[in-house]
Amino acid sequence: MYLIIKRLWQVNWAEQWQYRANLLMYLLYWLVSPIIYLAVWTSIANAKGSVNGYTANDFITYYLVLLICDQVTSNIVIHIFGYKIQDGSLSGELIKPIHPVLTSVLINNIAFKVLTILGFIPVWIVLFFLFRPDFSHVALSGILLSIPAMILGFLVSYLLSAAITALAFWTTRVYSIHEFYFALILLFSGQFVPLPLMPKLVQDIAQYLPFQLFIYYPIQLILGKLSSAQIVQGYVSGLVWLGVAVLLFNWIWRNGVKRYSAVGA
Amino acid sequence: MTPTIIVEKLSKTYQVPEREGGFGAAVRSFFKRKYKDVKAVQEVNFSIAQGEVVGFLGPNGAGKTTTLKMLSGLLHPTGGKASVLGFTPWELKPEYLRAMTLVMGQRNRLSWDIPAADSFLLNQAIYRIPDDQYKQTYKELDELLELEPLMKKPVRNLSLGERMKCEIAAGLLHRPRVLFLDEPTIGLDITGQVRIREFLREYNKRTGATILLTSHYMADVTALCERIIIIHQGQLKYDGGITDLSHKIAPFKLIGVMLTDADSHDLSKYGTQVRNEEDADKKYIQVKAGDVTRITSQLLADLPVHDITITDPPIEDVIEQAFNQ
Repeated sequence: MYLIIKRLWQVNWAEQWQYRANLLMYLLYWLVSPIIYLAVWTSIANAKGSVNGYTANDFITYYLVLLICDQVTSNIVIHIFGYKIQDGSLSGELIKPIHPVLTSVLINNIAFKVLTILGFIPVWIVLFFLFRPDFSHVALSGILLSIPAMILGFLVSYLLSAAITALAFWTTRVYSIHEFYFALILLFSGQFVPLPLMPKLVQDIAQYLPFQLFIYYPIQLILGKLSSAQIVQGYVSGLVWLGVAVLLFNWIWRNGVKRYSAVGA
Repeated sequence: MTPTIIVEKLSKTYQVPEREGGFGAAVRSFFKRKYKDVKAVQEVNFSIAQGEVVGFLGPNGAGKTTTLKMLSGLLHPTGGKASVLGFTPWELKPEYLRAMTLVMGQRNRLSWDIPAADSFLLNQAIYRIPDDQYKQTYKELDELLELEPLMKKPVRNLSLGERMKCEIAAGLLHRPRVLFLDEPTIGLDITGQVRIREFLREYNKRTGATILLTSHYMADVTALCERIIIIHQGQLKYDGGITDLSHKIAPFKLIGVMLTDADSHDLSKYGTQVRNEEDADKKYIQVKAGDVTRITSQLLADLPVHDITITDPPIEDVIEQAFNQ
């Protein structure tokens, strides 16, 4: 298995590297909205002193950390796996003795991620000097705790997206369903604004959804804003959602492949 | 000994959505879809012994690819049974997947963006091929297909023939015992076709692998297969030796002539006129194999011939003809 992963990595890394200019454009596109939120909220907070207790520095640190968390936990499964269903190239992979989505697509996604993060580091440093955040309250323990949390967040987000993408076995295209799913993430993950600034109802619903694991939870971990009880609660909910995501994905995948091979792979 | 491939009453019916053209029909079908059953494969029976090379023939849409897909496990049949190497293909057991290969001439399995060498190494890992065995197999494949010069270029920069060689090699690295080849020589020039053919014959001899292949080129089939299976409209029409078949239906040749003032000459007295979509400049007639020399000299004597070709009729036509008669 180690060799498979190593070779998959070599292939996918080389493949992503071919498209580095494309990746750079994607990175720029992806940076636009968080930076706009960052600029808008800081100027509002600057003008009013604070927004619901959030000062300008709170917004700056929140969004600068958000850029990192989003980069780590987001996925591009819909583009890799969805496309393979649509153009039929999944057929070739189904008759290979490894699971396509849990091996090659996953590694491809991680290669993509590593490459975009490399491109993202200088951008982040520029933003850091531009906005001069005060990170003095960030502790090493929070950063260390956030790493497994982000990995957990990525796995959950990857599997849920893969499950939704696997609906393409029935519908051939899933881009619109996926857009809707992205809107849910935007609303309930803390990507748009920090969750405490959302209406009470949204905050309550967010508690029962996995999306804050992708963004809000790791940010708060890094910024050291959670009590021990909240930290434990976050990890527990992360593990529960991981279990749910595994089961959901497996179920949709298995039925999907059956259906795919019934209609003409 | 039990045969390597056993197919019993294998059937596949697709449900294909169907609607009339036009906007109204499009709207109606959005709410209520009509389906039509298409019987792609109907109760086909055959069995193939270990080491046999069998040509699988039939016109477009006859059910060849569907059958190959069922035998390789990609498709669930709607009826019947199949067993390959003792496995039921569509259970997709890893042991089965490691023992067979499906190469489709019209589908790429190699990644476009990277050199084939990298994909090969990936396959080595996926199929758990030990290093020494991998090196040995690669050496053999390289001898037969001259792969080495192609290995370092990204696949997208290879020519069609070069890519096909790599595709076939990639599908054989794990030394499959059963090969399903769907149009392995499609789009290749003659040298390319001959190369692949020789290679397959040699591979079969060396490894004793069982091969089932489809092809549109009669030459592929005559060069490789002693036995052919023909299906037409999903039904098995012929299963037997290739020599028997050519006696039965293929003692024809096609003569194509390019004439000055083509329309003013009537060729029907020389043989049956046939249309050839690919080469509209020429007129084609079909004649019995034994009459070729006589009719050719007649044509050359009687008519202002610029150019003349004598070819085997396309296998598709032969089969189509045989079963429409």
